[in-house]
Amino acid sequence: MAKSKMICWKCGNEMNHHADKLIYPSEGREAANFDASLGGLVEETHGCPGCGAVASRIAA
Amino acid sequence: MTNSRPLNIPVILGTTRKGRMSAHAARFMAQRIQQRANVMTELIDITEVPMPVDDAGDGIKDPAFAEKMTMADALVIVTPEYNHSFPGLLKHVLDSCLKEYIHKAAGIVGVSAGPFGGVRAIQDFLPVIRELGLVNIFWDVNFGNVASVFDESGKLLDQAFIKRADKFLDELIWMAKTLRYGRDNITLDS
Repeated sequence: MAKSKMICWKCGNEMNHHADKLIYPSEGREAANFDASLGGLVEETHGCPGCGAVASRIAA
Repeated sequence: MTNSRPLNIPVILGTTRKGRMSAHAARFMAQRIQQRANVMTELIDITEVPMPVDDAGDGIKDPAFAEKMTMADALVIVTPEYNHSFPGLLKHVLDSCLKEYIHKAAGIVGVSAGPFGGVRAIQDFLPVIRELGLVNIFWDVNFGNVASVFDESGKLLDQAFIKRADKFLDELIWMAKTLRYGRDNITLDS
């Protein structure tokens, strides 16, 4: 399934999804997206080719 | 896509102790970066980053520090060796960010009063760098016997460190350019 592109919060360019980072939820605050097969949450990292800004979101 | 914005390689001074000789090493590294075309730098002194100690990680993120990490393409981290490792306060500051570091280059500069130039601190640091998503280069700069490398004013006494720093920066800049290309152009999405 195609994911929606993130739009740079600084310059409005379309961002590039270049990394998925496994993170571990603390105090259950983000448990809704917990991926039991990976043992944590996947945080997508997106970079802006235009200005270099960085953004992230928890993968659904 | 390639872009022409200058590379941004800040130098992090990773100690808050009084009388820190690492400050001389950090200023020296920043001066060497300033010699490079199309590369910008600044010295980030962790003493000046407000970091409460009643929480950690994202909960204490300083917006100004996070913005500097966001806009960095690579980091030069200058760390002394205290009790065979790097300073806890340096890790406390670095731990306040995560997405800001991912797929960016890092090079570590070790400083010690003794002869080993922070090698144990650097070895301890590598798994931390990896978990933060940074990509560490295979060159280090080791300022051993640091009191004989700089005088009290910070003047460099051992000129060999110019070549050592420049070889380190050659590799760091190559890695920073490569990783920027990847961040900008190579996607996980098919």
